[in-house]
Amino acid sequence: MSTTTAMTTPAEGGAVREAAAEPQSLRAGKKDWRGWLFVGPFVVLFALFLVWPMIHGLYLSFTGESLTGANGQLIGFDNYAEAFSDPVMWHSLWNTVWFTVLSTIPLVVVALGLALLVHQVPGQWFWRLSFFMPYLLASTVVAQFWIWMYNPQLGLVNDFLGNFGVEPIAWLQDESWAMISVVVTTLWWTIGFNFLLYLAAIQNIPEQQFEAAALDGASRIKQAFRITIPQLWPTTVLVLILQVLASLKVFDQIYMMTNGGPAGATRPIVQYVFEVGFTGYRFGYASAISYIFFALIVLVSLVQFRITNRRNG
Amino acid sequence: MAALGGVTIASALSGCASPTDTASGVEQLDFWHLLSGGDGVTMAGLVEKANAQGKDFDAKQTVLAWGAPYYTKLAMASVGGRGPDTAIMHASRVPGYAPGGLLEPWDLDLLAEYGVQKTDYVDRVWEKGSLNGKQYSIALDAHPFILMYNTDVAEQAGALGADGQLKKITSTDEFVDVARAMQAVTGKHGLSYGYLADGAQMWRLWYTFFKQQDAQFDLSGTSAQVDTDAGVKAFEFMQTLLDGTICTPSGDYGTALSEFLSGDSGMLFTGVWELPTVLASGIAFDAQPIPTLFGTPAAYADSHAFTLPVSDRDEKRTRATYDFVTTLLKGSFGWAQAGHIPAFQPVVNSTEYQELLPQAHYAPAAEILNYDPEAWFTGSGSDFQNFFLETCQGVLLNGSSPQAGLDAFVARIDALMAKPNPV
Repeated sequence: MSTTTAMTTPAEGGAVREAAAEPQSLRAGKKDWRGWLFVGPFVVLFALFLVWPMIHGLYLSFTGESLTGANGQLIGFDNYAEAFSDPVMWHSLWNTVWFTVLSTIPLVVVALGLALLVHQVPGQWFWRLSFFMPYLLASTVVAQFWIWMYNPQLGLVNDFLGNFGVEPIAWLQDESWAMISVVVTTLWWTIGFNFLLYLAAIQNIPEQQFEAAALDGASRIKQAFRITIPQLWPTTVLVLILQVLASLKVFDQIYMMTNGGPAGATRPIVQYVFEVGFTGYRFGYASAISYIFFALIVLVSLVQFRITNRRNG
Repeated sequence: MAALGGVTIASALSGCASPTDTASGVEQLDFWHLLSGGDGVTMAGLVEKANAQGKDFDAKQTVLAWGAPYYTKLAMASVGGRGPDTAIMHASRVPGYAPGGLLEPWDLDLLAEYGVQKTDYVDRVWEKGSLNGKQYSIALDAHPFILMYNTDVAEQAGALGADGQLKKITSTDEFVDVARAMQAVTGKHGLSYGYLADGAQMWRLWYTFFKQQDAQFDLSGTSAQVDTDAGVKAFEFMQTLLDGTICTPSGDYGTALSEFLSGDSGMLFTGVWELPTVLASGIAFDAQPIPTLFGTPAAYADSHAFTLPVSDRDEKRTRATYDFVTTLLKGSFGWAQAGHIPAFQPVVNSTEYQELLPQAHYAPAAEILNYDPEAWFTGSGSDFQNFFLETCQGVLLNGSSPQAGLDAFVARIDALMAKPNPV
C-alpha cells in the first residue's frame, strides 16, 4: 500500500489516498464482527470457565456458603479475618513458599548444569532421553515409585544408606525430612523440562563465538561463564517464571506421598483449599483462602517482573 | 484394575440410557460404594448373586476410592440431586450427611415388608443409623479393630490356653509380658502395628484403649469434652509397646501386615477386613477382640451401612431399591467370609456362621463396639482422623508428649466446632 502511494504523483495522491482510506475503514469495520467470530468460541469458554468462576469465587469468599448450600448469606470480611488468624492457613502458605524456594533453585541450577555438561558430551540423544523421560510420567506413577523407595523398612533409599551404617529414616513421616524428600522427588520428576529449554538455548549460540574465544585462549570453563551463561539470560528468565509458578501450584505429588503430613509439615496451600472446601464443605472460607493465595501469586509475579525488567533494561 | 474401570464405565453409560428397562420391567439401580481389594471382589460377588435372583432390579456398582474422594463425590452428587439409588457409607459418616438434606430416611414399614426390622439388629448397631427419630442408614456389618495372633508363635511363647486360644489377658503388664515372650520366639518383634501417615489406624487403637477406660469423648456441645487423662494413659501404653523391640515405632500399614504374615511377629492389631489376606497367606493364626487391658470391654468399630442419597425415586424404583438392599442383607453370610461381622443377626445366629472360624471367635466384639464420637466432621476417612494424625503422630513416632499432642488435637476440634455447621 505504501509503495503504491509513493509512486503516484502528488496531484493524484489525494484521490488515491482517499480511495485507499475507504477500504481501510471498511476493513476496520468488518474486522470488528469478523474478528469476534473467530475469538467468539474462546471468549465464551474463557468467560464461562475462567472469568465467571473468578467473580463467583470472589463473591463466595464474602459468604458462609457450604457444599450443601447452608449459611449462604453475606458475612463481610469474616472469612478473611478468620484466614489471617488461622495458624493452619499460615503454615500451609509457608509450606508452599518454602517448597517453591527449595525446589526452584535446584530445578534451575541443576538443569543448567546438566545442559552444559550434556552439550559437551557425545551421545546427546541418550542424555536428552534419560533426563527428560521422568517428565513424561504421570504424577501418580512418580509418587508410587518414590513412596516405595522411601519406605522406612523396605525401601531402596534406606537399604542403600544402610550400607554406610546410616540408621533407617522415615523419609516421608519424619517432619524434618518429609519436605526435602518431596523436593527430591520433584527434582527427579520435572527437571527434564528446564533441562531441555536450556539445551535448546545453548545450541542456538553461534559456534563462531566459542571458536573465537578458544583462539583467544579462553578455557572451556571460562567460555561457559563468559559466553554461554550470559547469553542464556532470557532463557533463565523464562525458566524462572515458569518454575516459580509451577512450584507455587504444587499439589499432586505431595497429596499422594504425604497427604500433607506429617503434622501438616508438607501441606501446601492448594491442598488446604481443597480440604477446607471439599472435605470440610466450607466453600466460602475456601474461596477466601484462594484469594489470599491469588494475592501472593500476583505479588510474586510483580516482583519477578520488576527484577527481570531491570536486568533487561 | 481393568475390571474396576469396566464397572465404572458401564455404570456411567447406563446413566445415558433409560433408567428403566421397560421390556422386562427390571429397574436399573445405581449402587455406589468404596470397597476395593478383597472387599470389592466379595461385594461384586454378592451383587452378582442378588441380580441373578430374577427380582425386579439389576444393580450396577460404581466403585470409588476409599475415604475423602468417595465422600466428596457422594456429597456433590447428592447436592446436585444426582445421587445413586443407594450408597454404602460408614455409619460414622452419616451424622455429617443426614442433617444437610443429603440423605433420605428409610421407610421402616416398607423395609419390614421386605423382611428387615429393628429386632434383627444389635441395639448399638441399629441406633447408630438413627438421627432425630429417623433411620438414615441400615448397617450391612460391623467391622471392629481386633487382635490376630500367630498360633505357632503363641504356643512356643507359652501364651496359649488349653482350648488352643490365647490365654485371657487382663492388664497392660500381662500384655507386655506376652508380647515380650513372642518377641523372644520370633527374634524380631512380638507385635505388629502400622500407623505411620495413617490417622485412621492411630485412632482405631487409641480409641480402643481410651474407651476401655470408660472415658468420654463428647462432641455434642459447643466445644469438645475429652477425658485427657485417659487419653494420655492410652498413649503412654502405646508408647510402651512401640519400643522398637515389642513393636517397631516406624511401621506403616503395609509393612506391619507383611511382618505378621511372614512370621516376624506374633500379634497384629488390625481391622477384621484383613482376614481374607491373612487366610490366603496360609499362616496358622486365630483372632479375638483386643483384650480388655483397662477394665472396660471396648472395641473401636465402624459399620458399612446402606443409605439413600437424595434422588428422584418413584414408587417402583423405591421398591426395587429396598428389594435389592434387603436381598444383600439376607445374603451377608458371604460378607462374613470377607471378615466383617454381619449386622443382620439372623445371619450371625445361623449355625453356618457359628461354625465359621476365626470369625466366630471375634464376633463378640459386636457387643462392645464403639463408633466415632458424633459430629459432622468425624468418622472413617474424615478430616477428624487426619487432625488426629497431624497432632499426635509425633507421640508415637518420636515419643513426644501425649498431653501436648492431645491438647493440640482438642484445640483443632474446638476451632472447627466454633464455626457454624456447614451441613
